[in-house]
Amino acid sequence: MTAESKKGARILQIAKAVIFAFMGIRKKSDLEQDAATLKPSELIIGGIIGAIIFVVSIILIVRMVVS
Amino acid sequence: MAAVHGDAHGHGHDDHHPSGIMRWITTTNHKDIGTMYLWFSFAMFLTGGTLALGIRAELFQPGIQILQPELFNQFTTLHGLIMVFGAIMPAFVGFANWQVPLMIGAPDMAFARMNNWSFWLLPVAATLLVSSFFVPGGAAAGGWTFYPPLSTQGGLGVDLMIFAVHILGASSIMGSINIITTILNMRAPGMTLMKMPMFVWTWLITAYLLVLVMPVLAGVVTMLLTDRHFGTSFFNAAGGGDPVMFQHIFWFFGHPEVYIMILPSFGIVSEVIPTFSRKPLFGYASMVYATASIAILSCVVWAHHMFTAGMPTVGQLFFMYATMLIAVPTGVKVFNWTATMWQGSMSFETPMLFAIGFIFLFVIGGFSGVICAIVPIDIQVQDTYYVIAHFHYVLVSGSLFALFAGAYYWIPKWTGRMYNETLGKWHFWLSMFFFNLTFFVQHFLGLAGMPRRIPDYNLQFADFNMVSSIGAFGFGLTQLLFLYVMISCIRSGEKAPQNPWDGATTLEWTHLPTPAPYHSFEKPPVVK
Ligand code: HEM
Ligand SMILES: [Cu+2]
Repeated sequence: MTAESKKGARILQIAKAVIFAFMGIRKKSDLEQDAATLKPSELIIGGIIGAIIFVVSIILIVRMVVS
Repeated sequence: MAAVHGDAHGHGHDDHHPSGIMRWITTTNHKDIGTMYLWFSFAMFLTGGTLALGIRAELFQPGIQILQPELFNQFTTLHGLIMVFGAIMPAFVGFANWQVPLMIGAPDMAFARMNNWSFWLLPVAATLLVSSFFVPGGAAAGGWTFYPPLSTQGGLGVDLMIFAVHILGASSIMGSINIITTILNMRAPGMTLMKMPMFVWTWLITAYLLVLVMPVLAGVVTMLLTDRHFGTSFFNAAGGGDPVMFQHIFWFFGHPEVYIMILPSFGIVSEVIPTFSRKPLFGYASMVYATASIAILSCVVWAHHMFTAGMPTVGQLFFMYATMLIAVPTGVKVFNWTATMWQGSMSFETPMLFAIGFIFLFVIGGFSGVICAIVPIDIQVQDTYYVIAHFHYVLVSGSLFALFAGAYYWIPKWTGRMYNETLGKWHFWLSMFFFNLTFFVQHFLGLAGMPRRIPDYNLQFADFNMVSSIGAFGFGLTQLLFLYVMISCIRSGEKAPQNPWDGATTLEWTHLPTPAPYHSFEKPPVVK
């Protein structure tokens, strides 16, 4: 694996963790993997980015609904 | 027991602390401070409860009988403030003080002296609040949300309230920093984050929320103060300010605040349900993730409290959708508790009864919340008794019931004695009955249009109000039974076995004697 694709896989794992967090569902094995590989700071930044994406997408949906 | 630590080392230290009243004033022991937090919050609970009974006595019949409107408004305002900031929040901090070090294998809280200071600020603030009834003009009367212009117009009572809120905020921030530091730095070897009991997790996340939003509250009351005394016009339209801005700032604090009051109770219920189902918590990982995401998302829904204050449709829809989506992780938690009970070998001691009562009634409160979040409905029910019913279902049968569950669950560990199970069960069933008698009918009152915060009402609301008042007095008296059960447990309860709950698996039950010695875990346990 190249360094690039490793980084990509890591970001993907953070994104997955955040998405599942927003739904409130996570498998035990995935949690353990998250805990072993991800740093808390990465998860917090991921969570904040996730919240921003969440807000922006609701704004877009609302725009669509009222237009 | 080979696994039992602390006792042997503990005795030597016990003599160091002063005795009598000075013990409590100077203590830096997390157990002493936790005990003081719990007694303080119970005293505030009775104070706020007395105010509530004043409100319900006046509302027993239409017309004005007991409280003049001015005093009535002071009662509703101080009832809310005292219950939120004096009873529920300090009670959870009391549980954190007692339980967090015991559950993570730490000898004490990280900042022991600051811990003493965070507690002793509370009686000061409480004195300010209670004494404000006796100053000229009386206590603050603009509601616990102290919206301007009412709060910029009131008298000295409002200043006392502002000062009290500052002090309480400072206490909460110090308490949270202490809890965060303790959890992050003082866990026993092997107690990784993902092995922490759910109660510790929920408090960690709650403490971050507190550090985030208490300064916002402090800021908004300071702006009120300068509007009142130093000629600023943040919220005064005549001076170019905007009263609606107050609501935005207040609720940016206020909505996370309601989650601050519910997340630790999720934690308590997540300890009690597995113990009495004799099964591990179903979906621990999901619970951690859901709690974290609730904390983040709770910061983007605040304006659902302001649908009638005037906002563009785009804004209304945004806050409606966001609010409804945040109910999803909350629902997942309810599912997980239910799944934990599924096929467990359950027993129904008092802590479990309160935990199940919590789940059942919290779901009703959650649903009425989602109904309030629907803009066209909320335009009808905003500022009516429907909202009152909603938040009492989440706060009384939510937060308070969870606190009761926790108190019955851990009192054997704290005192070394058992409470009276029969009386505990009476306490539960009477609370359950009278709680629903008081608040279920308020849904109907609200749907029929009875506004909140009024001392008098139209005749068509008479019957339900009478029912509600009877329920309230029953509920109030029932809580004296709780006081009796607790005092008689402390004084003369039967000696508790080492682990009275055979399903309990957390450190305080498996690695410490009962009662927990004054100094515990001086040598950290090793967690596998
Ligand atoms: C399922 C999650 C919840 C939803 C969707 C929800 C929704 C709402 C909405 C829309 C309102 C505003 C109603 C109005 O003023 O017209 C409201 C008010 C309120 N909620 Fe909730 N809520 C939820 C959970 C909670 C929880 C867990 C608590 C506290 C433990 C809580 C405490 C309150 C309080 C205190 C108010 C009234 C504030 C006031 O005006 O004095 N809610 N809720
Ligand atoms: Cu809210």
